[in-house]
Amino acid sequence: MPATKAAHPEAMAPAVNGPTRTAPPMQPSSWKTSPRMKQYSRFGLTGWIYLLASFAAIYIVYGLGSGPEAYAQVQALLANPLVIAFHLLCLISVGFVLVRFFGLFPKAQPARIGPAKPPPQPVLKAMLYGLWAGATLVLSVILAGGIF
Amino acid sequence: MVEVFRHDIIIVGGGGAGLRAAIAVAEADPSLSCAVVSKVYPMRSHTVSAEGGAAAVARDDDSLEMHGYDTVKGSDFLGDQDVIKYFVEQAPKELSQLERWGCPFSRNEDGTVATRAFGGMTTKRTWYAADKIGFHMLHTLFQTSMQHESIVRYDEHFVTKLLVDGGQVRGVVALDIRTGNIKAILANAVIITTGGGGKVFPFTTNGMIKTGDGMALAYRAGVALKDMEFVQYHPTGLPGTGILITEATRGEGGHLKNSEGERFLVDYDYGVGTKAELGPRDMISRAIVQEIRAGRGVKGAYGEYVNLDLTHLGAEKLNSRLPFVLELARTYIGVDPVHQPIPVRPVVHYMMGGIDTDITAGTSMPGLYAAGEVACGSLNGANRLGSNSLTECLVFGARAGEEAVRFIAGSDGGNESVLQDQASEDADRIEQLRGRQKGGEKISQIRRELNKSLEEGCGVYRQQESMAPAVAEVAALRGRVSDLKLEDESRVFNTELIAALELINMVDVAETVAVSALQRKESRGAHTCEDFPHRDDQNYLYHTLCYFDPAGPRIDKKDVTLGTWEPEERKY
Amino acid sequence: MTTRRKFVVTRFDPDKDEVPKTQEYEIECQDDWKVLDAINFIKDEVDSTISHRWSCRMAVCGSCGMMVDGEPKLTCKTALDSYGDTVEIEPLANFPVVKDLVVELEGFMGKFQQVKPWIMNAKEEAEKKAASTMKEGTYRQSAEELMAFKQFSMCINCMLCYSACPVVSNEPDFLGPAAIALGHRYNMDTRDGGQDERNQIFREEGTVFSCSYANECSEVCPKGVDPAAAVNQAKFNAVIDWATGLVVSRPAPQGDE
Repeated sequence: MPATKAAHPEAMAPAVNGPTRTAPPMQPSSWKTSPRMKQYSRFGLTGWIYLLASFAAIYIVYGLGSGPEAYAQVQALLANPLVIAFHLLCLISVGFVLVRFFGLFPKAQPARIGPAKPPPQPVLKAMLYGLWAGATLVLSVILAGGIF
Repeated sequence: MVEVFRHDIIIVGGGGAGLRAAIAVAEADPSLSCAVVSKVYPMRSHTVSAEGGAAAVARDDDSLEMHGYDTVKGSDFLGDQDVIKYFVEQAPKELSQLERWGCPFSRNEDGTVATRAFGGMTTKRTWYAADKIGFHMLHTLFQTSMQHESIVRYDEHFVTKLLVDGGQVRGVVALDIRTGNIKAILANAVIITTGGGGKVFPFTTNGMIKTGDGMALAYRAGVALKDMEFVQYHPTGLPGTGILITEATRGEGGHLKNSEGERFLVDYDYGVGTKAELGPRDMISRAIVQEIRAGRGVKGAYGEYVNLDLTHLGAEKLNSRLPFVLELARTYIGVDPVHQPIPVRPVVHYMMGGIDTDITAGTSMPGLYAAGEVACGSLNGANRLGSNSLTECLVFGARAGEEAVRFIAGSDGGNESVLQDQASEDADRIEQLRGRQKGGEKISQIRRELNKSLEEGCGVYRQQESMAPAVAEVAALRGRVSDLKLEDESRVFNTELIAALELINMVDVAETVAVSALQRKESRGAHTCEDFPHRDDQNYLYHTLCYFDPAGPRIDKKDVTLGTWEPEERKY
Repeated sequence: MTTRRKFVVTRFDPDKDEVPKTQEYEIECQDDWKVLDAINFIKDEVDSTISHRWSCRMAVCGSCGMMVDGEPKLTCKTALDSYGDTVEIEPLANFPVVKDLVVELEGFMGKFQQVKPWIMNAKEEAEKKAASTMKEGTYRQSAEELMAFKQFSMCINCMLCYSACPVVSNEPDFLGPAAIALGHRYNMDTRDGGQDERNQIFREEGTVFSCSYANECSEVCPKGVDPAAAVNQAKFNAVIDWATGLVVSRPAPQGDE
């Protein structure tokens, strides 16, 4: 069967070898042409883009910490049309992953009848008051010049 | 060279009854080694296809007495009442146990297990899980059995012979389908739970594996098969494939209509009275055949049929309680039950008869037990009520397991060299059958002829003049089946060899069905003889026993154990 | 009405063949046949040496899974009329092949058993066991509680999902869709008390996090079980279980079962 690719030789192998010789496991031959699998491969390929983007991020942060002249160099590089094109590619990848993620994410939640029930009233009130109190505190500190 | 394996108890067949027996053995005594030998992986057993539900007293308006009476009456008074009494007592405990093991039963508003109406039952006592009870029960039992390390499985091993020494069963000979090697598995008790033999008929709900292997094993070892003439025709199977459309469709309110759109069970007198579609299966199957004979059947590509109308139940009820029926109708006959009626006709479904057992699930051979469809207690007598058989698997599977544990306590091993010789002899027989090029008969041809004989001789309506030739034809096939031609010489996973062994079993089982049917000159339950249209309690209130004899099956009689209820006219 | 079709079927006899090969059969097919009907016809009338598994022919026993034109299908449920003149039939992908169209299932049986798919640490078992009526002997379960796991209990173990999964193809340790779905089914069942043990298995040997959400398993599942949902719910639950385990002490598991 030359056209089909072999799967991992141990795929679905039993813990103890069976009593007769078996032929090695093969991948589905439809994987080469299936539109869904091509989409899945693209999804996987975006990993390379994130890897490169992470190098860029390290470079930028390093530049930030190395003083104003080094940072000016970083900014100049970022204005390079090739780099802008790369960042656009990053944006498209993230969009692609987000669409796929939000498409598949809902079923990672357990099934329920009707809409999700909110938490009980006292808990809800405590959370909201706590949020209000916390936000007030942080703003007061900022306005008093404590930070920034 | 036959490899020998030793266990304490062997269970042949890994369906509902077999797995329940295995769990019973493991729970009774975890130190005992229990072998489950099945020709398929247990989750493939035909228990998986049961749809409607399992019966046990559940509601306050129900009682053990009522369940007992319904079952006795449903059996046309041929059921053994001591067995029935034990069954209805154990049923609620067994089904509750199944629920605790995780079976996803459908629920009422208050969270208790929901029950539905079923044919021949005076109140709602059929516990259900949408319409896939058999599937859920089998998977629950299989998964529960996995926690017991004392249960050892021999998956895809075909048992070919019982090993008997000194009149007691001592083990089995099994063909390892994977390697083609023969194994002798020795134990002091054997429980047969291999199911029925519907495949001897051409049009059946049964899957490929229901070839009556266990019945043939016991039969050839000298144990009687009881009441083999009683074959249940389920009223509603899809034309062509024979796929089961559950009785629950009628339990939930479905109507059966003829070609003129009449609910013929209401408009004409078929003995079901006000129960109409919820009458017992034998009466409804006869009614449908009568309608077709009267010219009021609907004509189709696979013969005539009647319509099962579910359109008035509404999509919501159908989706929540009968989703599998929707899937089956759409996939296999291209009909959407929400909008169209489903074509249905009577189809062979269950064998009331089987290995002669008593209330302990024991047989006449010490150490040999049987439970489930393969056995005949007789719980179901001449006609089984729907939803009793799954509970039967649990109740008598458990009993068989417990009895086997008790039995082996006083047992010593048999003479091993005698058993090894028997096993070697059987191994030689199988080796000679494999790839037997010099034969003259084709497996598929004999199977076709066997099916045709049984269909013509042992249908819903039988006549002495059609049963007699069936007996002769099947006897002739028994001779011809010893000259099979097999093409496949391979050792590994040779399914042609298995098909040949199954065919030999089917011929033996079919012969007992035909011979038993011929000698019962009355009509009772599912056995309707047009020459003798009435029930004859004077002469025929007995169980038919059929013993193996090289010259042809030998018939004997066994008394029916009566009890609280005396035979009366069976009117609904 | 019949159509003439050619079937290219994988053949493999370990005693005779070095590697699997194909064999062609041309037969007249009825229009309403499923793929399984064609294979059975070939076995009964043309070449009785073919080995394949099947039983119920109504899509509930799970025996008859095979690759049809490169995609995993339940052959008793797959209509032949959606295929062309030539149909390729191969054994299930990602499994070692025993003979012809029969694959090795023991690997799956091992994974199946690994997730401990039975009710563990059930509450009030002793009292309920002693009861003899339905009301006293059973648990109560609401419609919502049933819904949380019902879908995942519908798995017929046909293993099409294993054939479709790219991770199963590459990582032998991965438990796989059906096994994880079954373990998750028990975790979500209110009657069960074994979540800690199963979540530990999911995190450790079972490598549930290897799932890359290809969703192929759910695409091919013939019973609508949606194993991808189960696996990803299981990932969440396994993490939350780990987090709560840091804060809350829990009893040691009840020995190795």
